Order: sequence, then C-alpha cells, then structure tokens
Amino acid sequence: MFLFTARFSLTASETETFSDGLSVERKRVKPILMASNSDMGSADFESLSSTSDVELLKRAWRNEKAAPEILPYEGDLVERAKGQIELVEGNIEDYVENGMDPLVVSLYQMDLDRTQFLLRSYLRVRLLKIEKFMFHTLKSEEAESRLSEQEKVFATKCVADLAKHFEESVLIKLRESYRSVLKQSLISEEDDMVPEPHLDTFVVSRSNSHVTLNLYEEGESHQIVEMYRGDVYFIRYKVAKGAIESGKVDLI
Amino acid sequence: MAGQTDPHISLFSPEEVEFMGEDELVEIVPNMNMEPLNFIAGDFGRFVPQIPTQVPLWLAVALKRRGKCTFRPPQWLSVDNLTQILEAEREPQSKFQPLPFSYVEIARLLFDHARDDIPDMYMVRSLVEDIRDVRLHKLENNLGSFQGTSAVKMDNVSAMEVNLVRPFARRALEAFYKHDKPEADTADRDTRSSRQPREANNEPRRPLRQR
Amino acid sequence: MAKYYDIDDILIEEEFAPVIFHKPVNGVTIDPSAETSCVEQGAKVELPFWLAHELHLRQAVSINLPACFDQKTRLEIQADAACVDLRSRCPYFYEFGCKLQPLVTDRTIGILLSTAFKIRYKERLTKVFTATHLTASKFLPFLTKEETNLYEAAHLSMTTFRKWRTGGPRFQRASILGRKRKES
Repeated sequence: MFLFTARFSLTASETETFSDGLSVERKRVKPILMASNSDMGSADFESLSSTSDVELLKRAWRNEKAAPEILPYEGDLVERAKGQIELVEGNIEDYVENGMDPLVVSLYQMDLDRTQFLLRSYLRVRLLKIEKFMFHTLKSEEAESRLSEQEKVFATKCVADLAKHFEESVLIKLRESYRSVLKQSLISEEDDMVPEPHLDTFVVSRSNSHVTLNLYEEGESHQIVEMYRGDVYFIRYKVAKGAIESGKVDLI
Repeated sequence: MAGQTDPHISLFSPEEVEFMGEDELVEIVPNMNMEPLNFIAGDFGRFVPQIPTQVPLWLAVALKRRGKCTFRPPQWLSVDNLTQILEAEREPQSKFQPLPFSYVEIARLLFDHARDDIPDMYMVRSLVEDIRDVRLHKLENNLGSFQGTSAVKMDNVSAMEVNLVRPFARRALEAFYKHDKPEADTADRDTRSSRQPREANNEPRRPLRQR
Repeated sequence: MAKYYDIDDILIEEEFAPVIFHKPVNGVTIDPSAETSCVEQGAKVELPFWLAHELHLRQAVSINLPACFDQKTRLEIQADAACVDLRSRCPYFYEFGCKLQPLVTDRTIGILLSTAFKIRYKERLTKVFTATHLTASKFLPFLTKEETNLYEAAHLSMTTFRKWRTGGPRFQRASILGRKRKES
C-alpha cells in the first residue's frame, strides 16, 4: 500500500567522475575476478562465468520471489551489480558520443536492461514482503537482521504510518484495553494480530549438490530425502530453508 | 488451507520463465564482423562471418531480427529426435523423457524468430506441441498421486511445466500436508486436550479470536 | 497469529456447531425468541464456532459434530465422494472439520476429511489442466471453497500459459526506463 511511493534509487549520478580518457578501461565490467586475471584459460572462464554476478543476481531474485518469507539481503551482490550498471551506463553514453554502430549500442543496452530488471525486481519483491509482514519483521530480531539499512528505514516508517493510521481512524475510539495494534486486547498473551509468513507452504527447488534433508521437524516422524545435483522437487519450505540459505538448493 | 498464500508473492509469470530461458546458450552463425561484446552477463564473440559461436538466446534473437545471423537449431530440435521422444513419452507408465530444462521457451523463441533456420519447421513445431500435451497429461497423473508428504520429486519436468502446475500443486500439497501430517495430529490433539482444561481455570486469559 | 486478517478464517468460525451446556448460564440471550434470558444445564443450542470454542475452553459446553458431518453425509462420501455436493453442506467443509477435530469426542472425523479430500482431489481436480471448461463447470457448484481455489489456481495458470504461448505481449522496456536517471 505504501509501496509505490517508496523508491530505492539505484542512481549514482557519478558519470562525471569518469573522464573521457578512461572509456577503454571502463569496458571491463567484471571488477572482482576478471580485472586482475584477464588472460585466463577458457576452462577457468567457464567456471567463473557460470557464477557471474548476473547469475548470482538471478539466483537471488528467483529465491526471493519463490520464498514465502524475506531472505537475507544480498548486500555485496547488490552493490557490485549497481557498480556494473553504472559503468555500463557510462560506457553506453560514450559509445553514442563516439558514434559507435547503433546495433552494438542497442545490444549493450539490452544487456543493461536485463540486469536492471533483475535488480529492480529483486528489490521490489523484498519491499512487497516487508510491507506484507512489516510488524512481524520488526518484532523479530532474526527477521530484521535480513533487511538492508534502507529497508529497515522503510519498514520502520511503514509500521509507524500504518500504526498511526489505525490509531487515528479506529483505535482511539475503542476502550483502552483494545488499543494495541499488535494485540487483540490487553489480556492477549502474545501479539496475536500480527500476520506472519506461511512457512509450511511448498516451493519448487533444484539442488546444486548432493543434499540430505530431514522432512519433518523435531518430534515428528523421522524421514529423510536425498537430493542429487539437478533434482527438482516440490518441497515444504521449512524443510529446505537451511539448504536454500547455504546455497545448496535453489528455488526456481 | 483457505487463503493460505499471497497470490502476488511466490509466483512467476510465463514471461518471467521465458526471461530466464533467454539466458540459455545457442549456436549462431553470424554474417557480419563484430568485436567481442563484453556484457555484464559475460563476454561473447568475436563475430566473424560463417564462424559459429555461442551466445545467449536473447542476443541471438536480437541479432537474427536485424538479419545479422542464422541459427543453428539445437540437436534435440530435430524431427528424428522429437519423434523418438514423443513415442517414448506415449509409452504407458513411462517416465518423463529428458529434454532441456527450458525446452518450451527455447522452442517458442526459435519458432517465432528463426523459422527459416529450422528444417521441417511445421513438423518440428507440431511434434513439440504434441510432446508438451502428452507430458501435461502425465503431469496430471503425477498430481493425482500426491499424498501427505513434505517432498515430491519431479523428474525431468521442465521449467515451464513446473511453473504451470506450481500454484495448484502448492495448494494441494499444503492441503494434503494438513490432513496427513504424520503423528503431529495426534500429538497436537493430546497436548491440546490436556492443556485446555488447565487454561480454562486461568480465565480470562484469552485472545478474542482463538487460533 | 498468522491468519488474524484472513477473511476465510473468520467466516469458518462463523459456521454453527451444536453444543450441550454443562452448566446453567444466566443473563444471556442466545435464542431471541426464548422467554427467559437464561440457558439451562443440558440445553442443546447451535452456536457459531468462535463462541462454542470459547465456552468449551471454560468447560461450559461440549461440542458435537454439525449436520454437515452426519451419518448421511458420511455414507454418501463412502459411496461416491466425488459426487457429493459439499458446498451446500458447508463451503468450508475441510477447514471447519479441522477446527472441530480436537474439540469433539468423535475420532473419525480426521480420516473422513482426508479420505473425502483425496478422492475428490484425484477425480475432480487433477484433470483441470487438460479438461475443457465446460466439463469442469458441471461439478464446480459441488466444490468447497478450497476445492474451488484449487480449481481456479490451475485454470488461471493454464490461461496465462496459453496466452503466452499464442503470443501475448513480451517483456518490453517501459518508456520510463532506460533514460538516464541522474536527471531526475
């Protein structure tokens, strides 16, 4: 409900910090691994390119979209992706100025658009979840630790706005013991009006390696499933949660 | 069960599935010279006329649309291979045949943009559609064998197929899990029935809407 | 509580269940047409589930199974579960049953719910992806709310898939994107 007013700007207006003479350098957009090692063999290249930042971003986006709760924020990855996006934006400007073949420019633009889509969609899905479970997110330290600093600000502001709205429109008219935003009444033992993510839902997973998962929680019947690399499963989220966060299993 | 999952979270549209499939590598034969492209998504090229090279599907389509290359259709996308697959899929009790994880998306993009590069295009297209239909019926049979469990393996089911049944299968599995949860039912009942009378004496400590 | 704002969950608790009062209760009007405002011990009354549940917690009443789980329905489900009109009996047949299960003495309700769901699911719901809408529309009025949700989930994803396959609009760059953002 507050989503579209909030905007996580990816802007970094520092195009001007690059002088024109650097445009050749800027073409390389793999700052971390490639820059220091540009003459590596093709096998190395394969293994690196299979975990390029775009692949990682795609994985983060898919996991975030598919998981019922908010996942830990991929801060480093987002920063790297933003950096690359800025570089390419700068490059494209130079290409246009230098009169490069419009076809080539449009191809670079498409590559840029695809990465930007992933990043934007990733951040938006997170905002959607933060809004939906804002009270839950802020009262659980564990959940809050998954947010970025900007997201925490957003969540705090959402909670404050919504609570204020509830208070002014309804709660002020109720008896004192019914004025909580989180509890039905003063005698409620817990915060019983706080929507929480539904963790018993099922997700589609694909494993990256051999994983053994226990299908039920403590005290329930003991049953395990062995997943091999590439196996696709419908699986209860709670069961796969740990494996998703450790990267052994991807959601698709 | 009712109202369990937010429909706007945890769903992928077919377009989003296609977007992911567009990163699959395909082989093209350029008809122009072009320097290597150093993309965020990786480096591709150089492009030399008549020299085949591997690029992501989206790039291949973009070049093809501008008349800059022809496609080398993937091996699996041939009349012979597809006929075999279709026959195998039709065998009673058969498993899903291995196909590329994005075969539905790849096939559609090639049919849309590279029809002149695919030998026997119409035959190939109708084979792919038949295969998809047979597999959809098989998927339904699989769904019919669901029961209360926490994990169901989907062997060789493709990205688009799994996405197609996802909203349904998820709800169904949640329902089965709720009804068939092993032991938890009885355990839950015992703790609850032994707990409730005690709670009763502590009244009034209760929420307005009981969970 | 995950479902506090869940409209279905609220409606489920509005369903009526028969109770027997264990103690007399004064000063309440449960039946507006009654002459006195008290309920006697042993009185049999139909109450909405949320109220019955509260009274049960206070050991004031015991809850019996409502008519939608009566012997007649059970026999029909045993005979041909797929053809029973569950919606007219209770649109929240399964969910209501699950809520009642821990509160009633009848221990067979769990198995009744799970058998009914299994059979109806297999026979009525799993063919949704390939069946024509017309075939489906015949049994739609018999489905419970959750069964309808399942049907609609499948139907909707089939529709969006067909739309995509026959060439719906592709991802295109919104005109607002791709412009330099530093100007904004």
